[in-house]
Amino acid sequence: MKNETAPAGSLKRHMGLKASNTISNTIIYILLVIMSIVWLIPFICIVLQSFRVESTWQVGYVIPKQWGWKNYIDLWHTDFKKWYLNTLIIALVTAVIQTVIVLCMSYTLSRFRFKLRKPLMQFMLILGMFPGMLTMIILYRVLKDLGLTQANAVPGLILVYVASSGMGYYVSKGFFDTIPKSLDEAARVDGATRAQVLYKIILPLAKPIVIYTILTAFMAPWGDFVFARYISFGTSAGMNVAVGMYNWLNLDQIGQCYTRFCAGGVIVAIPVTILFMCLQKYYVEGVTGGAVKG
Amino acid sequence: MKRILAMLLALVMIFALAACSSNTTPTPTEAPAGNGAEAPADNGGNETPAPANNGTSEIAGTYDITVWVADAIVDLTKKQIEDFNSSNEYGITFNATVEAVGEGDAATNMITDVAAGGDIFCFAQDQFARLVQANALSKLGVQAAETVKSANDPGVVAAATTGDELFAYPLTSDNGYFMYYDKSVIPEEDLDSLEKLVADCEAANKYFSMETDTSAWYIASFFFATGCHSNWVTDADGNFISVDDNFNSPEGLIAVKGMKKLVDSPMYLSSSDGAGFDSGCAIVVTGTWAYETVSGILGDNLGATDLPSFTVDGQEYHMGSFNGCKLMGVKPQTDANKAAALHRLAQYLTGEAAQLERFQAVGWGPSNLADQANAEVQASPALAALLKQNAACSVPQGQIHGSWWDIAKVIGTDVENATDEAGLQAALDNYYNAISALFTMSEAEKEAWSVIGNICGTNWDTDFPMSEAGGCFVSEPLELHAGEELKVRQGASWDVNYGVNGLNGDNLVVEADGTYTVVLDMTDESLTLQPA
Repeated sequence: MKNETAPAGSLKRHMGLKASNTISNTIIYILLVIMSIVWLIPFICIVLQSFRVESTWQVGYVIPKQWGWKNYIDLWHTDFKKWYLNTLIIALVTAVIQTVIVLCMSYTLSRFRFKLRKPLMQFMLILGMFPGMLTMIILYRVLKDLGLTQANAVPGLILVYVASSGMGYYVSKGFFDTIPKSLDEAARVDGATRAQVLYKIILPLAKPIVIYTILTAFMAPWGDFVFARYISFGTSAGMNVAVGMYNWLNLDQIGQCYTRFCAGGVIVAIPVTILFMCLQKYYVEGVTGGAVKG
Repeated sequence: MKRILAMLLALVMIFALAACSSNTTPTPTEAPAGNGAEAPADNGGNETPAPANNGTSEIAGTYDITVWVADAIVDLTKKQIEDFNSSNEYGITFNATVEAVGEGDAATNMITDVAAGGDIFCFAQDQFARLVQANALSKLGVQAAETVKSANDPGVVAAATTGDELFAYPLTSDNGYFMYYDKSVIPEEDLDSLEKLVADCEAANKYFSMETDTSAWYIASFFFATGCHSNWVTDADGNFISVDDNFNSPEGLIAVKGMKKLVDSPMYLSSSDGAGFDSGCAIVVTGTWAYETVSGILGDNLGATDLPSFTVDGQEYHMGSFNGCKLMGVKPQTDANKAAALHRLAQYLTGEAAQLERFQAVGWGPSNLADQANAEVQASPALAALLKQNAACSVPQGQIHGSWWDIAKVIGTDVENATDEAGLQAALDNYYNAISALFTMSEAEKEAWSVIGNICGTNWDTDFPMSEAGGCFVSEPLELHAGEELKVRQGASWDVNYGVNGLNGDNLVVEADGTYTVVLDMTDESLTLQPA
């Protein structure tokens, strides 16, 4: 709050620095409170609706008249647990494989100098510009021939999510570039292999970016709908939560399933929320870390 | 590093292989008897009178099938298939996987990949044409068709028919709308008049809810009231070939005037959500699917009846409704025996007993005539209101072009924004233009050549047909006058047209009065007039 420089209004001149600071802070905090209310209301509504047991359809009020766990218990008796498990498996496996691939890729491109390195990077940049949706139909055909659709959608989806992960190296390569090469060289002189340099020198220094990579790799499959629906169509056993729960929004279903749907939404949000809470301090660092030097 | 990569690759391969092996479904154990040469469609559903001698050996066996039904009836359907397994005379046993797939999504899901879709699936009737076009439905056999026709509501049978053939089994006949109302707000004597109902709602400060902003399905109610129709004709492949539509007519104008009475009310709400009674609605126009919700909210105050009438220029018009249904289809099969067995199952699942069970379990209105007359069905408030509405004024929802819904729903907002009669008429004109533009010409019409010009009293707005004769296209004899100009074009559009100097050439100018035939010789692309 830079009030010390030439106050404009006469009112300000009479106020002390402290008073004007208080006023501007108050205004800013009021604004922030309003904004957070706007952002949080949908989530609060969903949580509250999921505890409403007096009716199962949409209603015109937010606070439930009767509270209870019925919707969560109902969830247990549907295919929800299967969908949830599918989603969890897909997201975890994808997170692990994709993180490994991305980090190896970034390390390679950051530290090694080989023929066609630049053209390769340019090629991947261009390839990344094609919208992935365009490939949906052909991917479906390929997966179908491999037998990885419908009931076997889980490995199929993992394959698809992981397949192009090497191209997402930009942020972490940028971060690796900021780590001085002399560290590598020192380690190499002491007899470390390339792999040891990555494990023992680079990765401990790049913890934020590792966390960031895991998080993004986890989030994409966790929330996917379009592709997951296309691959698992009409087969409950292969659906993820988003696709499965979408069925409850049918015209003749929503009256009976609305509050259960909210309960499902809350359960889906829990692991992501926990993950972010634990890892958020690394997250911001990770995203901006690579920006220092491209 | 290399080792890890190698392991990863191996992992990926294992995934693929594991999935492959688990996907190979065991083939149905077929009966040893020689396979009949009948096509699946003909074989399908033939009620063999003496199954012990004939039917058993042909189609007996165990089949693995997938059945797609709505979530609400998954368990019931499993039970019904078990019943079929234990009771059928053909020696058929089904290993059924019953999946919950909403009837609204069935077509989208089927068309994604017909081969991987459910063997038997349920769908709302508006998807029928798309499914026939996508080859996702197999035809009913002659006897099965006869049985279905005689046992079911004629409107539903029409919905499952394209050309002259039946392609699906009627599952329900309850996809229409009527009026739920709050008895504590709406006096019974006002139920027949839209004007009084609107006044009651305004007096009580409660909403009159009907989804006319966003749904052509509800908008049509007003048009049907004044006797308008929109009939679409399909051929045997499910293609739309023509439409007979008179929404843009004096009757149509009366209809939008009636609609204006509702939408101009401050207490009008565009929604068909039964839960609206929880948030200030006194009347909601919607269907049987909302019954549980509405009865949960209103309890003893629940009223359900047919739609009211509106009055324009002193005459009353009873609001109409669509009378729609859900159908059950059988996917075409490569194995004729399996197809025949599936048709028998579908017939069982849509038969009188199964429909009644479904009504008792989830309240779906039967399409079977005997079930409709059942006292229990008659006693259900929602179905009673639906039947009352159907009796008063309803139009069976036949085959309707998919684009119609988007075109017609615009009427809703156009009418709401209109300030005078000209505005209302403009809404109808917009509709008419969109329908006309939509209707694609047949291949023959697209190919056809015609003469156009300022000839015979027309001014470049009428096409005179030409016929083909030995590489030439020749018009009928036309009476032409000196100075008149003409050209020849294909498909009544200017994409391909000929003038005196060939493709896209100049207009041909008539030099002297007389009766001529216009001749386009395709061998040298010359356009000439020849005295007739």
